[in-house]
Amino acid sequence: MSSYLKLENIRKSFNKTEVVKDLSLEIKEGEIMSFLGPSGCGKSTTLNMIAGFLEVDRGKIEVAGESVHLLPPHKREMGMVFQNYALFPHMTVFDNVAYGLKIRKVKKQEIRKRVLEGLEMVRLAGYENRYPKELSGGQQQRVSLARALVIKPKLLLLDEPLSNLDAKLRQEMREEIVDIQKKVGITTIFVTHDQEEALAISDRIAVMYDGRIEQVDIPSAIYNNPKTDFVSEFIGEVNQVKGKVLEVYKDNKSKILFFGKELIIPSDSSQDTMLNFFIRPEKVQIVNFRNTEEDTGIEMKVDKKMFLGARTRYFLKVNGEQLIADISNTVLNPSQIQEESTVIVHLNPDDLLLRKGR
Amino acid sequence: MHLQVKSNHELLIEQQKKKWKRKRLDAWLLLLPTLGIFLFFFVLPLIVLLVMSFKTFDASLGVGDQWTLQNYLKFLSDPFYLEVLWRTIKIALVTTVITIVISFPVAYQISRASGRLKNYLTLLVLSPLLISMVIRNYGWVIVLSNNGVINKTLMDLGIISQPLTLLYSEFSVILGLAHVLFPYMVLSIMGSIERIDPSVIKASQSLGANPLRTFFSVFFPLTLPGIFAGSVMVFSLGVSSFVTPAILGGPQVKVMAYLTYEQVATMANWPYGAAIGFLLVLIATITIVIYSRILNRVEKGVAIQ
Repeated sequence: MSSYLKLENIRKSFNKTEVVKDLSLEIKEGEIMSFLGPSGCGKSTTLNMIAGFLEVDRGKIEVAGESVHLLPPHKREMGMVFQNYALFPHMTVFDNVAYGLKIRKVKKQEIRKRVLEGLEMVRLAGYENRYPKELSGGQQQRVSLARALVIKPKLLLLDEPLSNLDAKLRQEMREEIVDIQKKVGITTIFVTHDQEEALAISDRIAVMYDGRIEQVDIPSAIYNNPKTDFVSEFIGEVNQVKGKVLEVYKDNKSKILFFGKELIIPSDSSQDTMLNFFIRPEKVQIVNFRNTEEDTGIEMKVDKKMFLGARTRYFLKVNGEQLIADISNTVLNPSQIQEESTVIVHLNPDDLLLRKGR
Repeated sequence: MHLQVKSNHELLIEQQKKKWKRKRLDAWLLLLPTLGIFLFFFVLPLIVLLVMSFKTFDASLGVGDQWTLQNYLKFLSDPFYLEVLWRTIKIALVTTVITIVISFPVAYQISRASGRLKNYLTLLVLSPLLISMVIRNYGWVIVLSNNGVINKTLMDLGIISQPLTLLYSEFSVILGLAHVLFPYMVLSIMGSIERIDPSVIKASQSLGANPLRTFFSVFFPLTLPGIFAGSVMVFSLGVSSFVTPAILGGPQVKVMAYLTYEQVATMANWPYGAAIGFLLVLIATITIVIYSRILNRVEKGVAIQ
């Protein structure tokens, strides 16, 4: 599929501080793409430039082959949902949803039909005559979604739409948003700082940091194959461990010393350099006894354990270095492992992410 | 043992309740000074005024000892007095409308400003309130009188040959009132503008509304509570104003407050003055009631978001 939304070398500065730095991105039609990053990474600024609330300093924005970056927001035909819902407080739910249609001079009967359909879609049929302040946060956000969708926009822009909702409602709403998005088939950009949210709902994620896109990929690839240090640290949790290159082989492999054990991993570093690795806590495997004499596992002491419901977190120590392991309680019963006891730790070389450094 | 614990717990609750009760009492106690002042200096005189307005006039004592409706009947049946009443209301209404029109853009710009500039601009708006009423009004006299700044300039330029009657007219009274009352309007409109969530404006634009449409469909309706609140203040202050009409209007432009003063101070007819004064209070009260009714309707969706 060809790209539907195209951002080309977008730049934006505020008071000489560059907030978006030469950003390029392509989004396919019907796709739901998340902009994920910490606050101040430029994700909201980028969204506001797509919506037209901010002008681009440089670069181009194209939607369906037409450049839109010079159009004012009211001519861009984009449906936007805001973090604080942004419903018109002086209008009923019906009038809120009908607002965009009235501006488009749609016939009265048609407006009525489409508004009711829209409210039906977000499961708020029967709420037409309520005022926004008579609704709960989740309901307000659904009205806001209906209002954005009834105008059949070219793009649906969601600016941290779930941040003001409580945890449980947030999960419900995100499933609902995905359902509706798939049903309508609208190309969607979802801005969030919540990685779990992004991983759960996106077709692809653009991880942003410091005004740049660090990586664009499908959620599993973002999680399993982070391309930069920032992505590995920002998405999920990581242990940082050091390893020393002992020997370099011809086929881009090296033998490294790692927690006092030798491991062979793909690497092109020269001998005696120290390498930094990331490994996710859930990729660390623990057994409480050696299987065989040839078992290559590393002996570590359990410093502390923490029960987390479905899994248990073990804080392991060896040679003054700490390693965190998250083990599912169905795989290893936590009662079998005592604090201060010694366990055998297995690390799969494939799970070691080489830290690139900056 | 278990029972003991329970009763201890209950004791604690009891204590807590007593504390709360005391707190509520404390709150009332704190209100007392204000309440006292309010009752003694406002409600009591008003009652005295009401009682007095139903008394006959006694040339020697001022207030006679007979009960009568004559004071009100006299006012309501005399076209001269009714004209004063109507003029007073008209001046207050026109002043209100003018302040709305001039305050809205000012309030809008100040709300958009930030930091120090905003403080300075607000201070500037409040400046008419910082100058003594009398001085401010004599300032207008200098500007508006027959050989004042405006007339002199226009005559020197040969645009007019006779001075325009600017002073001692409804125009000058309205001008003076608008000048002193517009800060109230600006402040209350600013209050509503600042309460508008900026993303609501963005939402309107993204739904296809151009700036003009956004203004009339979203921005302006959301400022109505401020406009109404400001109107109530400006109207009630305008309808009861005395110094400004006295200086800028003089005897030619009599208003209710002036009439009351005249009856009490010059004619020493206290009961009649009381009746006029009470009618003035009545008008202001009725206006506020009507306004708050409308406000309730307008605010249905707005209020505090």
